[in-house]
Amino acid sequence: MGKREKVLVKICVGTACFVQGGADLLLYNDFLDPVVLANCEIEGSSCLGMCKMSSTKARPPFVQIGTEVYGDMTQERFCKLLAEAVNA
Amino acid sequence: MNDIFIDVDYAQIYKSGQKIGGDVFLLSRNPDNNQVVCTLSDGLGSGVKANVLASLTAHMAHKLSFSELDLTHSAKIIMNTLPVCKERKISYSTFTIADIRHPSLEDIHINLVEYDNPPALLFRGCSSLSWNREKIDLQRDGAFKKEELSRSYLKMEVGDRLIIFSDGVTQAGMGKSLPLGWRVEGVRQFAQQQIERNPSISSHDLSQAIVRKANTLDRLVSKDDITCMVVYARKPRRTLVVTGPPFTKEKDALLGEKISAFEGRKIVSGGTTALIVSRLFNKKLKVDMSCWSPDVPPCSTMEGIDLVTEGMLTLSKVALILEEKKQVRTLHDDAVKKFVEVMQDSDQVHFIVGTKINEAHQDPNIPVEIGIRRTIIGRLRKALEDNYLKETSQEYL
Repeated sequence: MGKREKVLVKICVGTACFVQGGADLLLYNDFLDPVVLANCEIEGSSCLGMCKMSSTKARPPFVQIGTEVYGDMTQERFCKLLAEAVNA
Repeated sequence: MNDIFIDVDYAQIYKSGQKIGGDVFLLSRNPDNNQVVCTLSDGLGSGVKANVLASLTAHMAHKLSFSELDLTHSAKIIMNTLPVCKERKISYSTFTIADIRHPSLEDIHINLVEYDNPPALLFRGCSSLSWNREKIDLQRDGAFKKEELSRSYLKMEVGDRLIIFSDGVTQAGMGKSLPLGWRVEGVRQFAQQQIERNPSISSHDLSQAIVRKANTLDRLVSKDDITCMVVYARKPRRTLVVTGPPFTKEKDALLGEKISAFEGRKIVSGGTTALIVSRLFNKKLKVDMSCWSPDVPPCSTMEGIDLVTEGMLTLSKVALILEEKKQVRTLHDDAVKKFVEVMQDSDQVHFIVGTKINEAHQDPNIPVEIGIRRTIIGRLRKALEDNYLKETSQEYL
C-alpha cells in the first residue's frame, strides 16, 4: 500500500472566527489524537471568506477539511470530522 | 509629512540615594510650524528642593521660549521667581534651551540659550564642531554673582547631533577615577567614539550610553544627578499601515499602487485586506501558527510586506498597549508585540483605512472590543502622537 496523502486542513483565523471559538481550535496539538494529527496537514487561513456569505446558515468558526468547509466548529466536532476524513 | 525628523531623547540617573531628580528635561513639539523646543534645567542642591527649582525653571523657560518675549527679559523673570534656598541664601538653577525649527530639509536651525550648564556639543558625523557664543550679561538687581547667558544660532544639517548635558556628566568620576572629573573634553571624545562605532545611533541609545558611562566613572554611586539629552536631525523612518478593504472593489488596484509606491516598512492588518494584497501582488500568504496568544490571532508572512496581522483584535490591543505605555518586553510573543515594536521604531506612521463594512462584524455575538475601525485607528494615532511623539497621517479608501 502506498503512502496516503495527508488531509489538508485550514483553520480560519480571521477576526470573526477567532473570537467565536477559532482560538480554541488552534490548540489542536493538545486535543487531537496524535495518529489523526500525523495524517493531517494543518495550516491557518487569514480568512476563508465564509463569514460574509449570506447564503450559508453556518456560523463561525469555519474550518476547511479537504475541499469541504464546515462552520460552527467545536473541538469535539473537529476531532470527529478529522478522524472521519483521515479514515476515509 | 515632513522629510526631516528631529529625534530627541534623554537619559537620566539620579544622585545616588535620591528618589527624585534635580535635573528636569522638557520637550514640546509644535508640528504646525515645525518647531521642537527642549529644555534642560539643573536645580541647586539635590532631591525635592532641586526638583522644585529645576521644574520651575524648565517650565518657565520652556513656555517663555514660545512667547515673543525678549530672551534676557525672560531669564530675569525666571531668576526673580525662583525661591531662595534656606541654607545657601541664594536662588539658583541652570538651564539650556534648544529651540529647533525645521521648515525644510535644507533649513534646520537651532536657537540655543545656555545658562551655567556645561556647553552643548554639536556633531556633524563623527566630528565635533565649535562655534562662537554671544554672551549677554543680565545685570539683574539682587544677583549674587555675574549672570551671563550665552546665546547661539546654529545651522543644522541632516545627520547632525546636538548633545546637552548637566554638570553631573562633566563632573562624573571627580576625585574617584578622574581628578577633575570627566569634563566636557571627555564627553566629547566618548560621544565621538560612540558615533564612529554606530553612525546612525539613535538619540535614545547615545544619551543612554553617555549617562551609563558617567555613572560608571562615579563607580555606580553618582554624586549628582546625571542627565544627558541628544537632538538628532535625520531622515524619518516611515511605516505604512494598511487596514480594511477599500469601499469598492475597483479601488483595490489603487491600494496596490499606494503600497508599492511607499518607501518604508509596510504592515497589512486584516484578514480580508491581506487576501486582497496577496492577490494584487500575486504573493503567497502563509499563516504563522507558532505566534499567537488567546486574545490575538496569529500573524502571517508575505513577501514584500513586513508584517501581516489580523485586523480589529490586533489593532485594538495595540492601541491599548500604546495608550498604557506598556513595556514591549512584558508582552506575549505575538502579532501585537511585533506591531508595537514596529510602531515604536518608526517616526512617521501613515494609515490607509479601507471603509468597506465587514458584514461578519455586525453579528451581535461578536465581542464589543471589535469596534469601528476608524475609532480604533483614531485611538492608535492619538496614542502614537501623545505618548510617543510620532507623526501620523491617514487616508480613507
